[in-house]
Amino acid sequence: MSKIMPVDILSSIKGAKSSEAVDKLFDVIKNAEINSNSSNQNAKNAVSIDDLRADVVENSSEITKQIIRENFPKEKDGYLVVSKVIEG
Amino acid sequence: MSLIKKIHNQLVAKEFTCTELVKEKLALLKENKYNSVNTVLEDLALEAAAKVDAKIANGEEIGLLEGIPFGIKDVYMVQGTYTSASSDLLKKYKSAYTATAIQKLLDAGAIPMAKENCDSFGHGSSSENTVFGSVKNAINQELVAGGSSGGSAVNVAADYTVFSIGGDTGGSIRQPAGYNKIYGLKPTYGRVSRYGLMAYASSTDTVGPLAKSIEDVAIVMNVMSGKDAKDQTTIASEEIKAEVIASKPEGIKIGYFKNFIENDAIDSKVKADFLATIEKIKSAGYEVQELDFFNADTLVSTYYTLAMAETASNLSRLDGTNYGNRIEDKNLKETYMVTRSENFTEETKRRIVGGNQVLSQGFSDAIYLKGQELRKEIEAAFEADFNKVDIILSPVTPGPVPKIGEVLSNPHAMYLSDAYTVGFSLGQLPTLTCPFGTETGIQVTGAKNKEQTILQFANFLNQVQ
Repeated sequence: MSKIMPVDILSSIKGAKSSEAVDKLFDVIKNAEINSNSSNQNAKNAVSIDDLRADVVENSSEITKQIIRENFPKEKDGYLVVSKVIEG
Repeated sequence: MSLIKKIHNQLVAKEFTCTELVKEKLALLKENKYNSVNTVLEDLALEAAAKVDAKIANGEEIGLLEGIPFGIKDVYMVQGTYTSASSDLLKKYKSAYTATAIQKLLDAGAIPMAKENCDSFGHGSSSENTVFGSVKNAINQELVAGGSSGGSAVNVAADYTVFSIGGDTGGSIRQPAGYNKIYGLKPTYGRVSRYGLMAYASSTDTVGPLAKSIEDVAIVMNVMSGKDAKDQTTIASEEIKAEVIASKPEGIKIGYFKNFIENDAIDSKVKADFLATIEKIKSAGYEVQELDFFNADTLVSTYYTLAMAETASNLSRLDGTNYGNRIEDKNLKETYMVTRSENFTEETKRRIVGGNQVLSQGFSDAIYLKGQELRKEIEAAFEADFNKVDIILSPVTPGPVPKIGEVLSNPHAMYLSDAYTVGFSLGQLPTLTCPFGTETGIQVTGAKNKEQTILQFANFLNQVQ
């Protein structure tokens, strides 16, 4: 569990490295003073259980299905083609 | 004067047909010397215009927004149209459905004219981070349009659209509105559904209008607002009333952040102009208080830390398999890597990498979780301030409008240019840019759900300018 993953793998971007401009932003946070008396905003932002929508499957319209199919880069027999399944 | 009402009256009086109006705007959008448009929605617009003309010809009553041409930032889903987010990855991605806010405008009869150029995925403050070419400022083409809703602001300022729908995460409606001298409203978080808006930073993303008058901002907001089962962060809101906006605000207190104005980073003219506006408000009999607030560096760093973390998470779905242009490689993992490396812009990659850094082991406690704590403090400070005052005024930006080419070369300076907008985003507060007060405008901010109060005060400010 202690293995630290490099940012290019985490981000799926070849050769990705941290940038100086962004590191400067993070340094400000590292050095900031925290006042522990702030209120619990997370509770205020939570969605009420009464507002949760029902978990039901809805059929898409024909036009929606058609556009989704158009967006697939490759299709074979109605299925999305993936280049190769990762092994192991 | 409401441009929407003026055009509505002209359509009803048959001074011109809706098709004639739409054709005129389409010609301007196609000619377009500002790079403000990614896709012109010609067929959709003409089809909708013909329906409005048929109603008028039949003697039927038309609604206020019926036949009014509007633009849509290219981060909103509109069924059957390309929704590129100004990126190579989604350049040919077609929306399968329509965003709730846009659908409400279409239902009201407004005419969609164009998908508008913007910073890719909303990542930028100049509308130069786009694969469709930098958007040019409507007033001076050597200057940037502001970002990320630059195309939307320019189209309104140049009269290509009557209003446009932008998206504001850290200032993306307010700053381009100021740069192009029009109004731009970032509403209270949750007032307008985000369903169908491509997610950048979900906890601060908002949907809002850009327009030439306060009344038009209110008209569009009233149509778009409301709870939506498809976005569970939406909230119920009250109608903004035109007669209240037109009246003089009574018994309210005004505040401004002393440390925004009294520091070395602010341009001297921006400072002088802002303070002159404060004097006019005092002369009109209002009490004005100086307020203390977080320094600009802390606000910018807190915002970008959280926004980058959220965008890294939101954009992880864009791998060429589920969405967008795929570049095949030797296996699925390499395909993801090459697709994302080749199809994201440098600024977007910088933000994804930054986001993954702060969410990763060894960084999350020291930076991300600390950023969350700072945000709570910022929200608490706003709550305390709005117990003292009703309106907070601030410049939109510390400096004047930059030239094209100046911003992209210095990302850190670009992040700092958002110093006065990002705090209100973290507080999820409603904020309106007004096209006066300083070179890049003035922000009028209220407590959550106080859109009517800020529009009313902005209307008063407009009259005392």
